[in-house]
Amino acid sequence: MNRRDFLARMGISGAAATLLMGLPSLSLGAAAGERRRRVVFVFSPNGVIPKHFWPDQQGENYDLKRILQPLAEFQDQMLTMKGICNRIKGDGDGHMRGIGCLLTGIELFPGDIQGGSDTPAGWSMGISVDQHIKNQLQADAATRTRFGSLEFGVMVPDRADTWTRLSYAGPNQPVAPISDPYQMFDKLYGQAKNRQMLASVLDDLAGDFKRVRHALSGEDRQLLDLHLDLVRNVEKELQTELAAATKNDSLAEHAVPKLPANIEEQNDNMPQITEMQIELMVNSFLADFARVGSLQITNSVGQPRMRWLDINEGHHGLSHEPDSNEEAYEKLIRINTWYAEQVAHMARRMKETPDPSGHGSLLDNTTIIWTNELGKGNSHTRDDIPFVMVGGGLDFKTGQAYDFGRVPHNRLLLSILEGFGMPQASFGNPDFCGDGPLTGLIA
Amino acid sequence: MKSLPAPAANRVLRTRWSFRIALTLATVIGVLLGVPPVVSAADPDIADPELERGRQIYADQCLSCHGEGGKGETEDYEKPLIGDASIGELAEIIADTMPEEDPEKCTGEDAAAVAQFIYESFYSEAARLRNRPARQQLSRLTGTQVRQSLADLYQHFFAPPYRMNERGFNASYFNSGRWDKKELKVERVDPVLDFDFGRESPVEGVEPTEFYIHWSGSLQVEHTGRYEIVVESTCSMKLRFGHHDHVLINNHVQSEGKTEFRRALSLIGGRQYPIQIDFTQRKRKTELPPAKFSLRWVPPGGTETVIPPENLIPSTLPSTFALQTKLPPDDRSYGYDRGTRVDRQWDEAITAAAFEFGAIAGQELWPQYKRKHRQDPDENRARLRGFLEELATTAFRAPLSEPAKKLYVDDQVAAAEDDLLAIARSCLLIIKSPRFLYPLLDHDAPHSNRVANRLALVLYDSLPSDDWLLDQVRKDAFALENGDAENRVRQTAEKMVNDPRLHGKVMEMFFDWLHLDPAVEIAKDPEQFAGFDKAMILDLRRSLEQTISEVFWSDSSDYRQLFFKDRNWTNARLGEFYGEGWIPSGESQSIELVHSQPSNNKTFGVLTHPMVMSRLSYFDATSPVHRGVFLLRRVMGRTLRPPNEAFTPLDAELHPMLTTRERLELQTGDAKCQVCHSKINALGFPLENYDAVGRFREQERGKPIDASGGYISRDGQEHKFASAGELASFLAENEHAHRAFVERAFEHFAKQPLAAYGEQVANDLVKQFRDSGFHMRRLIVEIAVVVATQQLDQGYNNEST
Repeated sequence: MNRRDFLARMGISGAAATLLMGLPSLSLGAAAGERRRRVVFVFSPNGVIPKHFWPDQQGENYDLKRILQPLAEFQDQMLTMKGICNRIKGDGDGHMRGIGCLLTGIELFPGDIQGGSDTPAGWSMGISVDQHIKNQLQADAATRTRFGSLEFGVMVPDRADTWTRLSYAGPNQPVAPISDPYQMFDKLYGQAKNRQMLASVLDDLAGDFKRVRHALSGEDRQLLDLHLDLVRNVEKELQTELAAATKNDSLAEHAVPKLPANIEEQNDNMPQITEMQIELMVNSFLADFARVGSLQITNSVGQPRMRWLDINEGHHGLSHEPDSNEEAYEKLIRINTWYAEQVAHMARRMKETPDPSGHGSLLDNTTIIWTNELGKGNSHTRDDIPFVMVGGGLDFKTGQAYDFGRVPHNRLLLSILEGFGMPQASFGNPDFCGDGPLTGLIA
Repeated sequence: MKSLPAPAANRVLRTRWSFRIALTLATVIGVLLGVPPVVSAADPDIADPELERGRQIYADQCLSCHGEGGKGETEDYEKPLIGDASIGELAEIIADTMPEEDPEKCTGEDAAAVAQFIYESFYSEAARLRNRPARQQLSRLTGTQVRQSLADLYQHFFAPPYRMNERGFNASYFNSGRWDKKELKVERVDPVLDFDFGRESPVEGVEPTEFYIHWSGSLQVEHTGRYEIVVESTCSMKLRFGHHDHVLINNHVQSEGKTEFRRALSLIGGRQYPIQIDFTQRKRKTELPPAKFSLRWVPPGGTETVIPPENLIPSTLPSTFALQTKLPPDDRSYGYDRGTRVDRQWDEAITAAAFEFGAIAGQELWPQYKRKHRQDPDENRARLRGFLEELATTAFRAPLSEPAKKLYVDDQVAAAEDDLLAIARSCLLIIKSPRFLYPLLDHDAPHSNRVANRLALVLYDSLPSDDWLLDQVRKDAFALENGDAENRVRQTAEKMVNDPRLHGKVMEMFFDWLHLDPAVEIAKDPEQFAGFDKAMILDLRRSLEQTISEVFWSDSSDYRQLFFKDRNWTNARLGEFYGEGWIPSGESQSIELVHSQPSNNKTFGVLTHPMVMSRLSYFDATSPVHRGVFLLRRVMGRTLRPPNEAFTPLDAELHPMLTTRERLELQTGDAKCQVCHSKINALGFPLENYDAVGRFREQERGKPIDASGGYISRDGQEHKFASAGELASFLAENEHAHRAFVERAFEHFAKQPLAAYGEQVANDLVKQFRDSGFHMRRLIVEIAVVVATQQLDQGYNNEST
């Protein structure tokens, strides 16, 4: 019996069921059917090896190079966008402007963080595109969700500086990603988890009340008995509540995800942490906790040591090696391939998960935008910034490889807004928005 | 006993109390036929023929309305027959007015006999105390006790706090952008953190283009409540708070325009929160911003100000924890917090608190424990078990029995593979357990545990957590077999008294006694009292706190000094506003308060402190009634019933020729008002020299102030005062005031009625207090000794009355 049949037999509509069952995540969409558009930004650092990244062929019949091979199964739902350049100048070194202006399209404030070159800088002067979309969604009751957006991190260092922040809620308002999956779990499910935990200990607690009360006189016993009654009542209510929730969960085919235990935030656990974060993201879309997300793998100038790939050097160090260093060159290809595998894993999990709104899979309504602060590590260029999109959240023609030549990336930010149904005349620094969104993308 | 509402907060002069004794309020006729005389079991000495006669008359003529034992609750008269009039006064009222349907019926000797019976059986305070089943009630932890106990449960894994007299923050100035021993140029104590270095060098030897300052110390908090910590910084800055890993404000990146940082926190009175600040002017190619740093706060009920030196301690005290979960207020119907009610709201708050503590225990206590026990074997998660067992043992104030260990530790470890989850489960159970929530539910615990438990509860509202105290317990130092057990308890209490946690509880007692709530606003007519604003009120609060601290923590800790101090803690602003008695004796440029020059008979300790005087005043005028009631109830320990009708004070504008005193005399001149107001007004009038903001005045409305007043004690003795000074001497030396203070201190510290411990205990405490030269710290030690020893002999099953 599917859900629609079940509801029909119960004699209630989907909307009423949502009300009865009390959770927004349970509006399974069969009746309402409004499409839930989503966008996710995935960040990996230090540029790529362009030769093994960008397709040679443009248009529909594009070829996939080594780094993008893990995404082969999504070639029809994918876009590669060469020729996007981060033209923002001003304070800050290449890496800082690379990440700080990537989604904001605007300069950094003067400040005291000195990079490897150029002038020191502070935070971005503007909001980032993900937060802008989130604000628009949250402003409308029809698209409002519990969190609006969720910022996931993987091994982002525990320090707040220009290199570690991708997302901005406004000028001088960096948004810190959550790198600890358990902390993210608490944010998403803490309340429910706490109520389950409470329900599971109350019976034992009541038992101990009985053990201690025997020594008391009548009058004092009254207070303790009153207290015990309270414990029993809460226990009873929780049981009813949880029984109802479990029933709903099985209907919605969504339950609280189970994370592996005691995974410390350490370099070598990066693969596991990434998987946990992706699992939490997929589940939070399923529960409609948010429609905007980001997964920031390390940070601008990130130094993960991918020992699981037998690479012991840090990524950023390697990225400075000249192309003539064949060993480093090969390692950088493998490192970037690993990032592509993570994007592929995320896309796969979304593809195999039906969208609770009833419109295909999660991936059909979600665009994953994988990007980077640099085009290439050893030149620090911010030309040809990697932009690879997977999925159908934006109204773009997919299955295409583009080369735009040399356009400011603000135009792509405008295109993203347009593709999300929120067109704007300018975003970030207007000087780079004159030509409007990129043309020919919209399906 | 309810206290008066604060008048000062009210813009509108809404209410004024008038007092009448209960008897005069009888309104309905009672008929007395055929009701058998009933004698209350609590009647005193019934063999006395005079009393017996009174009892008969009461049964015949009064009982049908006033009820058995005067408790009212009849159709005709609901209220209990209690009050503060003397037997003579009662007799007079009865003769004139009772019984209502036939006032001629009971006069002369009959009236005197029934008055005596009423007075001694149930009317007087003494009778009520005798009748009150004053037992030591089982109570759960109060909100304050929950906060304090969790703070100490946390601190148990670090180290106990300690008292320091030094003030300010340690500062290290480096000629370098980071901590570099070689480049350390200046080390000093900065009294407050409020700097504008501009583009200059902050200290000699340090380049203005690149420097690093490290400030460290602790924040001393006087009152429990909501605080906003505010930092203004134009440079890179990081502020750690409470625990080394807890970065409260992280401005690692200096970014133009981002210079103000605000964080709201609930903090606990008497606690100290370690703070470390890193302030860095980074070298750069571009233009340097001027370097500015200011550490400010908004304390409860206050206004934003630089954190004053008395709240800064130049030592990084051990890590500490303040519960952020809001707890519902406790019952205060006896005048002190009591944990006698449990309800859903409270239960939910405790659950939330348990989750909050469980998360912190996982984040901060568990790593600390692991560091300390690195060498311990960890087979079968033994280290985690060890941690949880120590946590439960401390929380329960007793060794853990096997079944308890299974429930609170082993079962929770088994239920969760993840360590943090196991800790959360265990903490949830421990904190919701009756073993934690009912501190005196410790019959099965060893005697020394029980003693230490009571000492910590009385002195700190908390649980024993300091290693040295737990050592005493482990050695069973307070065992009864030990001949000098009581002295050991006393020595332990003496040691415990010298502690910031006691300071917090003491400050709470004085503010409560003086009827001051830090969070309540005091508003005055801005035209009449220009300059009396929030900032000044905060200065006054600090001034009062320092006066109290100075008297309490001085060697003599002499109660009488609360009324005798002839100087105030002041600064230039207060000096200018208040004049004599408030002129700083030395330099006072910064926010720091200094001693004033002594006043010439204008300052009498806390009695005439503007914080107290302004609180006991209206928006634009004094209130001798509030002042008198305050002194009667809180200082003299007398009982007053509130009037059944609310009176509005006469409008000053309608009586432009009258002083406040004259208006009040006009309004309360009626005989039935005078029953109470003769006492109230006469105690309030001597303070008429202090206006609605506590400023000394010689005149009101062009007439000289008449500060004469008086007092008639319970035993009928009459006292006359001509001035505030004479009143202050009277209050300082009067035996009834001493007894009232002892009782108030006892109830504040023990959270149980003194009467429950028997009259002898009360008499002994008062005598000891007087013999010690009114030494307040010693009084508190003795209170702790009484509770920690006597209660145990009685046992908990003893429902003694």
